[in-house]
Amino acid sequence: MENKNKVQKKIKANEVAEFILDAGVFLMASGAHSGRVWRNCKRMADHWGYHMNFNPTFTGIMVSVWDDNDSENAVTRYKTAPQNSVHLETLTQISHLSWKIADGKTEYNDARRELEAIKNKARYPFWLVALAVGISCGCLCTLAGGSPVDAALAFCGAAAGSAVRYFILKKQFNQFLSFIIASAITTLIAGTDTVFALGTAPEMTLATSVLYLIPGVPLINSVIDLLEGYFSASIARSLFAASIVSCIAVGMTLSIMLLGINNF
Amino acid sequence: MELLTAIFFDFILAFCVAFCWGILFGTPVKALLMAGLLGGLGHGIRFILLHSDFGLISATLIASVTIGLLGIYAAHKVHNPPVVITMPACITMIPGLYAYRSMLAGIKLSDQAILEKDPNIIPSIAHNAVLTFSLLFTLAVGISISALLFRNKSVKQIRFDKSRLLAKEK
Repeated sequence: MENKNKVQKKIKANEVAEFILDAGVFLMASGAHSGRVWRNCKRMADHWGYHMNFNPTFTGIMVSVWDDNDSENAVTRYKTAPQNSVHLETLTQISHLSWKIADGKTEYNDARRELEAIKNKARYPFWLVALAVGISCGCLCTLAGGSPVDAALAFCGAAAGSAVRYFILKKQFNQFLSFIIASAITTLIAGTDTVFALGTAPEMTLATSVLYLIPGVPLINSVIDLLEGYFSASIARSLFAASIVSCIAVGMTLSIMLLGINNF
Repeated sequence: MELLTAIFFDFILAFCVAFCWGILFGTPVKALLMAGLLGGLGHGIRFILLHSDFGLISATLIASVTIGLLGIYAAHKVHNPPVVITMPACITMIPGLYAYRSMLAGIKLSDQAILEKDPNIIPSIAHNAVLTFSLLFTLAVGISISALLFRNKSVKQIRFDKSRLLAKEK
């Protein structure tokens, strides 16, 4: 093992740091908690024969990579994270990639190419996501005690909101704006249940139809980070999640005011 | 019999929720089914516990910890990190209703006339907000149970039979 590491000393600390940052920052934006990012990065650095330490914040990662035998061969770099968009498949793929590297099955250049491929991997199409969101909000509404009419309205509201949010994000608007507009549209559709008294449990329709916007991944990750001791990442995540929740509240308030607060 | 049908109905609905939520979160296709099964199972357990007079919070805690622990095994089966499966599964129990009630009461609080008519709004905000946060916390505990119990160890290194573990240590 010792010999193998010496042969592979060709890889410079700078390159290792760059790879770790690329993978780590992308993981962070895709919804990994800091402990997972740490484990994945550590695995790769260990294989390439470097020590590493890092400071994860939600907005970026600062990483130090150094070699015990060569004090010149050390580097500290920082990289800002891309915009947060949850995609759990990335976690699987980068985890697999890091195990492949740790087991020595792939070289540095191949790993780089593979990382680029993971970054450009296609997501689920937006209509499928909208449909799924609609179905899950409809099911949640039924679980909470709504009648089929309530569930159908929750389905329409959630699917329409999700599709609108996709197009707003595609036009590169601020993502908080997209949350406000999406929740306003969803509430407007779901609120018709209350105004015209269509279903038996209109409260459930309103409560469950906006659930697809709830930032579940950042919220839960912030608690996990808190438990594992990554406080700065935890605070940043909870702040991010809290601002999304307040954006949803703003959107709902707009629609509820529009439909008449006394109806609710 | 009626109760059994209700549990089955609950399981099916929660299965749909977890499955669809997996699509929203971008869970790989292979793991979607497993996420749905875990979500249905967890929600079913919570349904049974709630029917046997458990508190809402303790029932949710038990259900989410069950999901977290089963998620470790399921992750080995489909070769995915456990969080990919447990995250959509736990989301089925997200406290949306309580969050909504505390928010609606918050909106009403801004109106003087409504507040004077119904001063119970303030305790209702506090009650629903506390419930929301405690439920969220229990969900997070369930998802991170593997990280809490097996600290600093990747789930991939957990072995299910002892002989292999011992052999590895030698």
